Amino acid sequence: MTKRMKAALVLAVLAVAAAAVSAAFAASARTPGVTAKTITIGGTFPLTGPAALYGVIPKAEAAYFKYVNSKGGVHGRKIIFKYYDDGYNPANTVPLTKKLVEQDHVFADYGSLGTAPNLAIRGYLNKAKVPHVLVATGDSYWATQAKVYPWTIGFQPDYPGESRVYGQFIRNKVPQAKIGILMQDDAYGKNYYDGLIQGLGPAASKVVDVEKYDATQTDVSSQIVKLKAAGANVVAIFALPTQTITALVVITKIGWHPTAFINNVSASPLFMALAQKSGANVDGDISATYLQDTINNPKTAAAILYKSILKKYDPGADPNDANNLYGVASAWTLVKALEDSGKTPTRSSFMSALTHMNWKNPFLYPGLKMLTTPKERFPIDQQILEQYKSGAWHPFGHVFSKAR
Amino acid sequence: MRPKPATLAGLVVTLAVAAAIALIPFALSNYHRSTGADVAVFFVAILALNIVTGYTGQISIGHGAFMAIGGYATAILTHDHGWNDIATLPIAAICGFIAGVIVGVPALRFQGVYLALTTFAVALAVPQLAKNYSHLTGGTEGLALPTHTGMWLYGVGWAVAAVMFAIAWLLLRGRTGRAFRAVRDSEIAAASSGVTLAVYKTVSFGISAGMAAVAGSVYVLVNNFVNPDVFGLTLSLYILIGAVVGGLGSLWGVLAGACFIQLLPIALTTGSVGSSQSVPVVFGAVVIGVMALLPLGAANLLRVALHFGSQWRQHSDTPLGTEGR
Repeated sequence: MTKRMKAALVLAVLAVAAAAVSAAFAASARTPGVTAKTITIGGTFPLTGPAALYGVIPKAEAAYFKYVNSKGGVHGRKIIFKYYDDGYNPANTVPLTKKLVEQDHVFADYGSLGTAPNLAIRGYLNKAKVPHVLVATGDSYWATQAKVYPWTIGFQPDYPGESRVYGQFIRNKVPQAKIGILMQDDAYGKNYYDGLIQGLGPAASKVVDVEKYDATQTDVSSQIVKLKAAGANVVAIFALPTQTITALVVITKIGWHPTAFINNVSASPLFMALAQKSGANVDGDISATYLQDTINNPKTAAAILYKSILKKYDPGADPNDANNLYGVASAWTLVKALEDSGKTPTRSSFMSALTHMNWKNPFLYPGLKMLTTPKERFPIDQQILEQYKSGAWHPFGHVFSKAR
Repeated sequence: MRPKPATLAGLVVTLAVAAAIALIPFALSNYHRSTGADVAVFFVAILALNIVTGYTGQISIGHGAFMAIGGYATAILTHDHGWNDIATLPIAAICGFIAGVIVGVPALRFQGVYLALTTFAVALAVPQLAKNYSHLTGGTEGLALPTHTGMWLYGVGWAVAAVMFAIAWLLLRGRTGRAFRAVRDSEIAAASSGVTLAVYKTVSFGISAGMAAVAGSVYVLVNNFVNPDVFGLTLSLYILIGAVVGGLGSLWGVLAGACFIQLLPIALTTGSVGSSQSVPVVFGAVVIGVMALLPLGAANLLRVALHFGSQWRQHSDTPLGTEGR
């Protein structure tokens, strides 16, 4: 049997050679995923598993595409959006992405969620020259490693860019700051930490203590106690939602009253409400945003459109869940890029559109622009600080531009 | 060994299955070839678990950890040291063997649920170690490896599977296999017949873990990516489910188990029937169904077919390959 399998292996190697030759000749003129009437895109999302909370995003995106299709689509083509559940596990993301590309023949991999899942498929998609676009993660690699991975581009502001804003704000507005930092002990925490130190500039000497925790550790009380003991009056929390909530509760319990900075991905109104229910005093806490404020300003055209799209095409979705707004803002960007890719889009013309953005996305905070060049590939590079007061986030101050 | 009719039938079936596996990829798309390579990965992993759990009777829910050891060996050697992919497989096997022997030591004192918990702890600990030594493993960001064509993956995956199957068969058909089964059926009887429990238990764990490590290596080559999440607890549980569904203590059920745990979730996640949410439900229902109706696993179906129902109850002296527990 071993011999037989060896023979099979030899045959397999020959077949690879044959396949390579035939593939070279068969280089088709037609762009995969594009027909006269349709354009097919796909992505992977955690509909189940530890990050299932983000599972509403692809549904909101699909709702926006249905809305665009009802208006005639893009250049007469209806958008078909296929998405699969990878459970936030990169071991699932790879085969599902291969299926999207090789079986479903998608034009592009769009909006796939999570840092590790996207890192897992980035090499494969770039080798196959399949656009890997508007990925739903805030790490900075998607832009900074564009030379090696030119078919990949992100969407939201990157983590270091966000914490640079906090750093600049503390340097300029909190002269008597004594800063304590709680950070996750991995690349996620380090991205934020580095950005904060850059933003602080000379004020970096005001950091009095840095406490780290392991991502699997949910109890961060001892770190919080140490930060208080170090005399900090400002605390920057660069943690996952669970640890952030714990930190906020412990801060109140031990009678500490620092100004708390909370990173955007852990500052959902949902988490703030949870912390409050557990006894945390979260009024006055500061975070940053880049999306429309549909809660405080429900009468803007964008807010009305957003809610009507959800109501019609994604009934049951909670318009106050920031993840839905994120999905619609991202889907708007994809549609805009397709419009700018020409009457018959190719994968190259599509990437060119995404690297020449100068767009006003109606679902972003008023005044924010999406700007990219082939060399500057952070689509959203502006954000505004927000403060939590009486049950909601309230943006304040000016828009921070070109934070890097 | 006295030749039996089933031996010939087994040989014919073996050759037929091998021929089918060798020819199938030519009829498949590139995507389905790499899915086929994934089936080969789980074939080897379940085969490995079967040696220690099915044949030697030592429960392990930690085989995902041994896969992780092999996977990281391959990833680090190719990514940081420029090794050839295939050349890393023996190294992975050695690393896995050593880890398996170390885990096998507690198996000398623990039995049943206590041993299961020990291996469970290993399954939890190894991904954490990978996170901790991030300068070596890439931490949570992982390591990305070069991609291969589906045909390459299928060929390598099933060639490795064939070698592992041959090793398992040679090992289990003779003296060692008898000793393993003696340990499984009664440790006291085995010891009094001259089987050194310490040696056979640790060797069984070592060989099993070495094979699982090779499965992990191929898994990493197929996915061209490795990070701690790839080798989470669910992986270990899937392997155990595959072994149970296929039939513990049977080499034939391994193929059925591998197809079950690899193909069913993909079919449910991407197909028009069912959804990813239904995967756990279907898995649970099938495991309960198998336990209730076919306690010896899918392999028993084959046995029934081969013997036309005549001898299937006498599994204690049926030849290896159709062995049940």
